[in-house]
Amino acid sequence: MAARLALYVNEEETVEAAGGTLSIRGLCKSYALEDRQVSVLKDIQLDIKPGHFVCIVGPSGCGKSTLLRLIVGLDSDYAGEILLDGARITAPSLDRGIVFQDHRLFPWMRLDENIALALLNHDYPKAEKERRVAEYIRLVNLTGFEKARPHQLSGGMAQRAAIARALVNEPRILLLDEPLGALDALTRVYLQKELQRIWMERRVTMIMVTHDVEEAVYLGDEIIVMDAHPGRIKRSIKIPLPHPRDRASSPLQDIREEILNELTATSPEPDHLEEAVRI
Amino acid sequence: MMKPARRIFGLLTGLAVPLLCVGAWELASRQSAAHAWAFVPVNEVWRSFWALLNNGDLALNFLASLRSMLTGLILGSLLGIAVGALMGVSRIANILIGPLYHMVRQVPLMGWMPLMGLWFGTGTFSKNLMVVVAVFYPMVLHTYEGIRNAEKHHLEVAQVFCFTRWQTFVQVSLLDALPSIFTGFLNALAFAWVATVGSELLFGTGAGLGSLMLIAQSASEMEVVIVCIVAIGVTGCLMNYGIGRIRKWLLGWRYM
Repeated sequence: MAARLALYVNEEETVEAAGGTLSIRGLCKSYALEDRQVSVLKDIQLDIKPGHFVCIVGPSGCGKSTLLRLIVGLDSDYAGEILLDGARITAPSLDRGIVFQDHRLFPWMRLDENIALALLNHDYPKAEKERRVAEYIRLVNLTGFEKARPHQLSGGMAQRAAIARALVNEPRILLLDEPLGALDALTRVYLQKELQRIWMERRVTMIMVTHDVEEAVYLGDEIIVMDAHPGRIKRSIKIPLPHPRDRASSPLQDIREEILNELTATSPEPDHLEEAVRI
Repeated sequence: MMKPARRIFGLLTGLAVPLLCVGAWELASRQSAAHAWAFVPVNEVWRSFWALLNNGDLALNFLASLRSMLTGLILGSLLGIAVGALMGVSRIANILIGPLYHMVRQVPLMGWMPLMGLWFGTGTFSKNLMVVVAVFYPMVLHTYEGIRNAEKHHLEVAQVFCFTRWQTFVQVSLLDALPSIFTGFLNALAFAWVATVGSELLFGTGAGLGSLMLIAQSASEMEVVIVCIVAIGVTGCLMNYGIGRIRKWLLGWRYM
């Protein structure tokens, strides 16, 4: 693999970005299940450079969503260290944004109100907030839909709105928890391109959890392959191909095949009852 | 939107059973003089209705009841939402207030009447208080449930954007609880109307449909009693319908 990849290695590109270096050291996470401790994440080591796009793939129950929840700060009960630009993460902060699989827009608010709500705890003057909301609505190509309510939007549009809401704070890191997983195939491909464009325009560090290996190799500078029970990093693959990428290019196809083979070598379904318990 | 023809058909079907009852009533009243005393003939009820309408008795008493109900409904709702919300967001408040609330709630409303009469007399204050209490119960319960069952995913969004507790409450919990609060309000509306007329019947002071019924009963004017009963029923029904419409308009996003 290394030899094959060497063919495509460019100089490690230097990206100018306002911070966003994530270091995870010896991260462990376990839950109490009845009378036992179930280990969900075990000894995770991860370094993510500013401006990089990292994709995490792995079977169900490998703790990839848990990892994102820990990074965003929704759960602070862990052992080890998660450091963003050297500071330990203990709670949510506006320098980290997240997009979930469901858009989670508030149904009682219009699209622009939903996005503006993310700025609630910023001190910007009103005009500046409005400017930013408009800017990010434009970024995700939803100009003209400002006054729409979430139920009036299609799944893809709602998810784009969720991306705008997560980015409007200009976070150093954007976490994406299977953001395109619930969309139909065509919308998904379209939004993958959109996501790539947004990332190239903004160069914000992105970490995306996905089930879709093709999506991961299309978007990621680095693919983290995880294994389950306990969740751990099995392997990390760098894809030093420039963006935007050609989905059908043979190097991408090769890497995709390799990762797929690796993930499907054993049954992806949990084979014990207690492991099937979704935590 | 239903087609007009279907709506009219629906309305007529809904009226069929009440009209049948009126027919049966009229039939019963024609059996004998004794029957006519118990089941006042429909035309006599109608005449009584016009008389009460013309001499202003109906309007006076109806408005008195309505005012009593609305006062209690507004105060009781505000109080109920406040207490329910407090119990919903604060565990300590729930531990402190919860048991007392659930205990007191078990006592039937009418059970408080002797005590209230003793403490506050049988005037307007006691009557309003009865309505406030009647409204308070369902409002507390539904506000509490609504806030407790607020969408967890929405609360996580609030967390991610670093909302304060107050911001989370105002921007998320309360709005997520709104459908439940409205259900509580619909219940409260029925209870308020029942409590209004009930307290008028039992205290028997001042103006009000309940008082009018009481006086008519002692004067053996059954037709007046029936006019009052119909007025109470129709008003309650209309209010229920009105609130339902308001809910649909206000919470349209819930039904899409």
